[in-house]
Amino acid sequence: MTLEAFQRSAALSLGVELELQLVNTHDYDLAPYAEDMLRLMAKYELPGSVVPEMTSSMIEISTGVCQSSVQVLDELTQLRNALVQSADKLNIAVVGGGTHPFQQWHERRIYDKPRFRELSDLYGYLSKQFTIFGQHVHVGCPDADTALLSLHRMSRYIPHFIALSASSPYVQGQDTAFDSARLNSVFAFPLSGRAPFALTWDEFSAYYDKMTRTGVVKSMKDFYWDIRPKPEYGTIEIRVFDTPLTVERAAALSAYVQSLAAWFMQDDPFMPAEDDYLVYTYNRFQACRFGLDAVYVDPATGEHMALREHILMTLQQVGKHAHALGGGAGLQMLRDDVNRDQNDARWLRERQGQERLLAEVIRQAGLKFRGERA
Amino acid sequence: MHELMAFWAEWARPTAGSPTVAWSLLLAVAAAVGYLVQRYTGLPKVAGYSIVGAFAGFAGFTGVVWPLQGTGLFLLELGIAVVLFEAGARIPLRWFRHNPMVLVQSLFESAVTFAAVYAVLRWFEIDRSIAEPLAIVAVVASPAVLTRVVMDAHASGPVTERAIVLSTLNTLYALTLGTAMAGVMDAPRTALFEAVYPVATLLGLSFVVAALLALAMRTALRVMSPTSENTSMLLLALIAAGTAVAGLFGASAALAALMAGMLLKQLNPRPWVWPRQLGTAAAMLTMLMFVLVSTVAAQAPWSHAVAGVVLALVATRALAKIAGLTVASFGSGLRLRQALWVGCAMSPMSSVALLLASQFATASPTLGPEITSVALPAILLMEVLGGLIATMALHRAGETSKPWMPDSTNGNGTPLPRGEAA
Repeated sequence: MTLEAFQRSAALSLGVELELQLVNTHDYDLAPYAEDMLRLMAKYELPGSVVPEMTSSMIEISTGVCQSSVQVLDELTQLRNALVQSADKLNIAVVGGGTHPFQQWHERRIYDKPRFRELSDLYGYLSKQFTIFGQHVHVGCPDADTALLSLHRMSRYIPHFIALSASSPYVQGQDTAFDSARLNSVFAFPLSGRAPFALTWDEFSAYYDKMTRTGVVKSMKDFYWDIRPKPEYGTIEIRVFDTPLTVERAAALSAYVQSLAAWFMQDDPFMPAEDDYLVYTYNRFQACRFGLDAVYVDPATGEHMALREHILMTLQQVGKHAHALGGGAGLQMLRDDVNRDQNDARWLRERQGQERLLAEVIRQAGLKFRGERA
Repeated sequence: MHELMAFWAEWARPTAGSPTVAWSLLLAVAAAVGYLVQRYTGLPKVAGYSIVGAFAGFAGFTGVVWPLQGTGLFLLELGIAVVLFEAGARIPLRWFRHNPMVLVQSLFESAVTFAAVYAVLRWFEIDRSIAEPLAIVAVVASPAVLTRVVMDAHASGPVTERAIVLSTLNTLYALTLGTAMAGVMDAPRTALFEAVYPVATLLGLSFVVAALLALAMRTALRVMSPTSENTSMLLLALIAAGTAVAGLFGASAALAALMAGMLLKQLNPRPWVWPRQLGTAAAMLTMLMFVLVSTVAAQAPWSHAVAGVVLALVATRALAKIAGLTVASFGSGLRLRQALWVGCAMSPMSSVALLLASQFATASPTLGPEITSVALPAILLMEVLGGLIATMALHRAGETSKPWMPDSTNGNGTPLPRGEAA
């Protein structure tokens, strides 16, 4: 199958997808209610869409094409409110977070849809272990070459995205010591990691043709890269975020992505190079493991610095773009959190430290998602 | 030799005696049969327990007297209290605020079951004073069997959750009306107020015991971790005390436990981790309850004459539950197909039904035997059959994460991934 043409989209337009957990209100374990939630959600007039995910305790919401992170927040809030009402009717709760802290992967059921069954047959137990929850941010690019250039520039900021969104410290009832353990599950898939270094659509098409000839991939969907081009939408899609615990944080992260993209497209601040990827996996690991406390190795200079400092520096660098795009409040929220040394992974650990019961942590995370005080 | 015997007689001390030995052996056999039944047929363990109890009953095992009294009654009440407390603690009252149709569905299903069973019994020309208690017994679905089936099949989902909640609610109605009715059974029929009075008294007294129980537990949970073994023991001991106290005050132990569970859920919204922690002690208590129920039920005076009535009662009850739930499923968040499986999952009839039958038998020496002659065979039939139907319903609803037969596992009871099992 040849690569489809890169569609036109408004530069810097935004689209956000959130994979969410459905839990019961008894012991707060994952509960297979996706089908029922979809049925109830169909009764609401909502922007974007609500679709099933790999296993039946997951649901994915997505905004329509938004012009700003303010619009993202507005649409996510509408979707969130409808989700909460549907969940109340079914006596379940909807929760953010990159992993469910104590679910047992073998108890999960694959959602009954041909593509999910196919993936389950191919990947075996990995598909059930893929009960992890991420946020994807699409950012519109004016043309295919700009998309690829932006993609590789954006790669330098993958650790920033991971540390700011990290919300998966617990897996199978244990503290993994990672802030984002979710990405370790993604790494098990053969076509995960970084995209090949191609800065033009022709080069990328050649790579794609070679891959499809091997029979290993059939479509762009088979690539589980951290950032991938999405030709049918005319966007690049950043996929390393853990689902945050609130829609406010999800919108703030989209503001950060949009501001960075605006900086790349309008100021041409640097040229990406293949050598950027020499430190990519190390930086990514540092961010997953230590979150805001990670060490960041600058791909251009090799300089080691605190990731926290680098995030604050980029927030400063993209500040004027954020204000022009209406994302100032989102960036301020992230800046405040970095200054307070706070992300969702830390919040989950603090709650667990106090409650000593992961199920109670999930209950409080459910309240936080609703916008209520935990 | 003689000297040796004399020495032994001196050395041997009085023990709990032969009933304890007989019950212990019976429970040991039940535990083994429950395991084997599940291992080789995929049926729930409760089916094995019930079959052993039934055999013991048919064989004339005399370890328990009817109507229930003394230790037998206390153990049954305690088993029921443990199960109902846990079932009550699964019901958040806020759910009914967000989805009042669940309550409507529950009330409608119970009313339809009562009315249909009553009508059929009257058609069989059974006297009103016998048809009414039997119709109340028929309303009860067994949260005890259901929760065991759910545990065995690793089930979760909307059908499972709804079946447990509706079973608990109709147990609440039937216990309230049934216990109050047993209290005035031989009294002449009176005005509406006088009929409501015993119900209100029973509910009020049971609520007081429930409130005390819930407050004590809430206080304990403030300082103790819900995952601690000691917390489980404390809760179990408090339920046992509540069961004994309820009887003293003229309240219903089962009702008090159920309401205590519901109250605790409101007072303490923290997640409930009871089933994993309570462990073997509660599991043994519930197994004892199933064996006791089927042993007693098998001792009913079986006759061809009542067989038709029993079958009609069981069939009408099943149809009424399914029809009632299906009709009232609109707007309740359930699809019609799901409502059908909920109806099937609610077919077991066990310990609470037996407790009610025992109360009727104690309350009226004249009507008791006639009620018992129909109720006990129906309970026994539905304890075994109900577990099977409920298991099937949860599998058909796609809510189990364990395959029906152990063949499709890797030998450790772990289901194989879809691709390998196919």
